[in-house]
Parts: sequence; structure tokens; C-alpha cells
Amino acid sequence: MVSKTERIVNYVVLTVMALLVLFPVGTFVVAALSPDRSGRPVKVSEFQWGNFATAWHDAGFARAITISIVIAVCVVAGQVLLALLGGYAFGVLGVVGDKVLFPIVLLGMMISLEAIIVPLYYQFRTFGLTNTLPGIILIHLGMGVPFGIFWMRAAFRALPRSAFESAEMDGAGPVRMLRSMAAPMAKPAVYTLILLSFMWTWNDYFLSLVFLHGSNQTATVALGVFQGRYVTQINLMAAGGLIVAAPVLVLYVVFQRKFISGMLAGAIKE
Amino acid sequence: MSTSARSTSVGSATGAPVATDGARPATSTAVRRRSRRRRTRWVGLAFAALPLAVYALVVLVPLGQSVQYSFYTWDGVSTPSWAGFDNYRSFVTDPVLRSTLGHVLVLICFFALLPIVLGLLSAALLTRTKQPGMAVYRWIFFLPQVMTTVVIALVFKRIYAPDGPLNTALRAVGLDSLARTWLGDFTWALPALGLIGTWVTFGFCMVLFISGTSAISPELYDAARTDGAGPVREFFAVTLPGLRGQLAVALTLTITAALRTFDLVWITTHGGPGTSTLTPAVALYKAAFQNPQVGLAAAIGVVMAALCLVIAVVITRVSERD
Repeated sequence: MVSKTERIVNYVVLTVMALLVLFPVGTFVVAALSPDRSGRPVKVSEFQWGNFATAWHDAGFARAITISIVIAVCVVAGQVLLALLGGYAFGVLGVVGDKVLFPIVLLGMMISLEAIIVPLYYQFRTFGLTNTLPGIILIHLGMGVPFGIFWMRAAFRALPRSAFESAEMDGAGPVRMLRSMAAPMAKPAVYTLILLSFMWTWNDYFLSLVFLHGSNQTATVALGVFQGRYVTQINLMAAGGLIVAAPVLVLYVVFQRKFISGMLAGAIKE
Repeated sequence: MSTSARSTSVGSATGAPVATDGARPATSTAVRRRSRRRRTRWVGLAFAALPLAVYALVVLVPLGQSVQYSFYTWDGVSTPSWAGFDNYRSFVTDPVLRSTLGHVLVLICFFALLPIVLGLLSAALLTRTKQPGMAVYRWIFFLPQVMTTVVIALVFKRIYAPDGPLNTALRAVGLDSLARTWLGDFTWALPALGLIGTWVTFGFCMVLFISGTSAISPELYDAARTDGAGPVREFFAVTLPGLRGQLAVALTLTITAALRTFDLVWITTHGGPGTSTLTPAVALYKAAFQNPQVGLAAAIGVVMAALCLVIAVVITRVSERD
């Protein structure tokens, strides 16, 4: 049995660790609400909520966030489609040559963007795809295929075989089986994939910095530019940071279980 | 028709062919099933064709081109010229590029070793029971994982600022001499960046290890206790070996993260002051897009990818060895 002291020790350890995580974020939130440009903490009654509006306006977030949303929505939709097709093929139908193809796909989870960014940029430049949304969406999609296939393959394999057999008896073709049976049954995995894919796309900085300039800046890149210009106005810089972090944080509050289980499973792989 | 008639007639004579006769319909359905399975595997390839094509176009082809680029000298505009292994040799001959690897080693201490020690320590201190409220703690520990690195960089830029919370706290306790512009200091900028990495990864390591210890059989702990093991020996004899898989995952992810650090450095220091916080990824970015030495940039990318792969393979091998 767990004694009372042990229980208290547990909470002390956990709380100290939790405070270490929360403290930096907390000072940042307080700075965002400070009327003082140095971000000095103030009483709740003196909070200056207008900082968010000022930062929104000065950083040009209206456009940057629209761009980020367009990219994220397209990437998530495409990602799910590609993952469903690939996962169903490798998990249920089997693929000619999968003994070779599947390891090659898994290898992709270990290939970092740095290894391919240089030729990607110069090739895309040749085809006029740099600084275009379709260009960056295509790269996000390609980079996401390995995890998508890995994830949906596992989800489809976890479904009961009998369901597929009885659907086959009814004469359902592979397309109908995927659309009307397998995909709906694997919904929880699809939702996790949607959340992770959205987070990865929204949080991306490196790819957007390389490929998109000027009026095509994403929210993260716009924030980087904004903080460079507002070095001395910490309160606005912090407010801008919170605006950019907000969409993923809200999703994280609502769907924390899916985020955590998805990231742990994605980390552990096999 | 004719075959069945013949087999019956022969079967009546020897007995053995009767078996063939009985097996025949079975064989033909097996053949049919196999051919159908082969057909579904071709259908499978058709299904997988689109994702595989996108993957090949965006990842595999550029990966090959990276290797090809890395053997050339190219400014991004004029005609490339063959360079042999010169770009790779820069890792030895160019002191700045060589120093990036040293910086990575420092970052690995902060991104990987420190968080793993902290994570193990807390996993060891916690009793392995269902703790009410654990979900809330887990939410907090995972928070840095979902925040975009740009925002994390800003959070810490503020903490480390000349009149930021860290220096204020130091001055408040009378340690004025320690207060400094952390990210502008040749000695302290790199460790300061490293601590941001510690902050990002230790919660993740903790969650990983806590869930790992709960999967260790309680009988092992009971056995250790009846053998008279104290908490320290219990940790080294039971907990640590039981967490081997989680340790491998944590090491791989955090070391690769240290090696690949870009966003944090780019937002906070741009690799400076001087080149004291330059990482391979920042060097790659500068070489690829600022004063183009495209071949060198590609070589840095290839070396980084190779290191990531080697690290992952070595750690997996070691963790699976008995």
C-alpha cells in the first residue's frame, strides 16, 4: 500500500517539475498583458488587453495567419487522404514489393529536412514553385507520408479481420471497403493524425523561412520578423507570441489525450 | 468431367489417386485465392502509388540530389564545378564549421543527458501507483512539445534579457556580479541555449519514463526488496534495466533534436555572438541561402542525416543487446 508520506513526496516532485515548466510561460503571459514596454508584471486590474490588438495589427498577422490556415488546412486534408490510401494498401491489401517499399517508407521518418532542403529549394526554383503555397504544401505532404502510412497502417491492422471478410462476402470492392467501412472504423486514429499534422504544419518555421517571403509569410515567420523589429517592446512581442501559439494550445487543451498518446506512439514507433 | 471419370477409375485400382482427386478442388481454390491475393496486392500498389510518388518526389529524389550536389562547388547561379570531397573536408579544415560539431556536443549534454537524468530521477522518486491528478501534470509536462519553437525562443529571450526575470532574480539575492546579457555572452550563450532545450525535453522524458516504470512487473520490485535492496540498488537493478526501451527512444529523439537545432538559435542569437552558438543547421542555412555555397550546404545536410541515422541505429542496437 502507498503510505501518505509517499503520496506527498509524489506530489512535491511532480509539482516542482511542473512549476519549472510553467514558470517561463507564466512570465511570458504576464509580460504580454503589461502596459509597460519592458514587460514588467503588473496587478490584474492594470492588465492591458489592447496589447493583443496592437500586436495583431503591427505584425500584419491578419494576412500571415490566413496563409498559415490555408497551408495547414490543405496539408491536413492531403495528409489524411495520402495516409488512408497508403495505410490501407500496406496494412490491408498488401503491396507488390512491400518487403522493399515499406522499409523505404519507414526510413523517411528518420530523414531530416536538412538533408533534402538544399536541392528541394533549387529544384523548386527551377519550376517556379518557391514562394508559392502549392510548393510548400507539396513539401509538407511528402515529408508527412512516412508517418501517415506508418500510423494508418497500424490503425487498419488493429481492426478485426472478420469485418473485412464479411464486407468482401457482400462483394464490396477495395475502394468501397475503405470508404464505407475501414476509414469510419479507424476514425480515432484519423482524428489523432489530423491534430498532429495540423500542429506540425502550424508550428513549422524552417521550411516557411526558406520557401516563403514577403506577403506569403506564415504566422511563425511573421512573428520572427515582428520580434526583430520590436526588440524593445517586450509586451507586444509577447502578445504576438501568444497569438501565434494560441490555435495549437487551444486544440491541446481540448484534445490533450489524443496529442499525448499520438506523440508518444509516434516517438516509440514499432 | 473426363478427368473426374478417369480419376475415379484409376482410384478404384490403386487407392492413391483418390487422394489427388479429393485434393484437386481444394488446390484449385487455393490457386484462385492466391491469384486473387496477388491481384489485391497489385490493387494495393495502385492505392499506394499516389503517396509513394509524392514521397519519392519530395524526399527520395532530393536526398539523392543532396549527395550529388555535395560533390560540387556551386554559387546557385553559375555553372557548378566538380569539387570531389572538398566540401566534406571542410568539416576538418574549416575551424568555424568544425566548431559547430563541438557546439552540438555541448547541446547534447543539455538536450539529452540533463533531461534524461532529471526524468529518471523523478521516475525513481515517484511511487508506481495511479496518482489522482496525473493527467493534469502530464498535460503540463507535454506543454513545451506542442509550442512552436519560435514562441519558445521568445519566452526565453525575455527570461535571459538584460533586465529580464533571471537577472532581476540574481540581483535580488545580491549576485549582481553574475547578472549578464546571457545570449550576448561568448561563454554563456551556448549553455543558455542548451537550457532552453532542457526545458523543452525533460517533461517529455519524464512522461516516457513514468509510463515505463508503471509497466515494470511489481514482482521484480518485491523480489528486490526481499533481497534487501535499498531504493538506490532497486533503481539500478530493476528500474533502469526495465526502462531500457524508453531510454533508447529518449536518447535518439533528444540527441537528434540537439543535432538539428535551428529555430531556437536563429531567433535568439543567429549563431552569435561571433560564431559561438553556430549549429550545423544554421551553418547549412547560411551556406545555402545567404552567401550561396550550395555544395557545402548540401554536404552539411548529408553529414547531419548520416549522423542522425548512425545515432538511431547504434542506440537501437545497444538497447536491444542482452
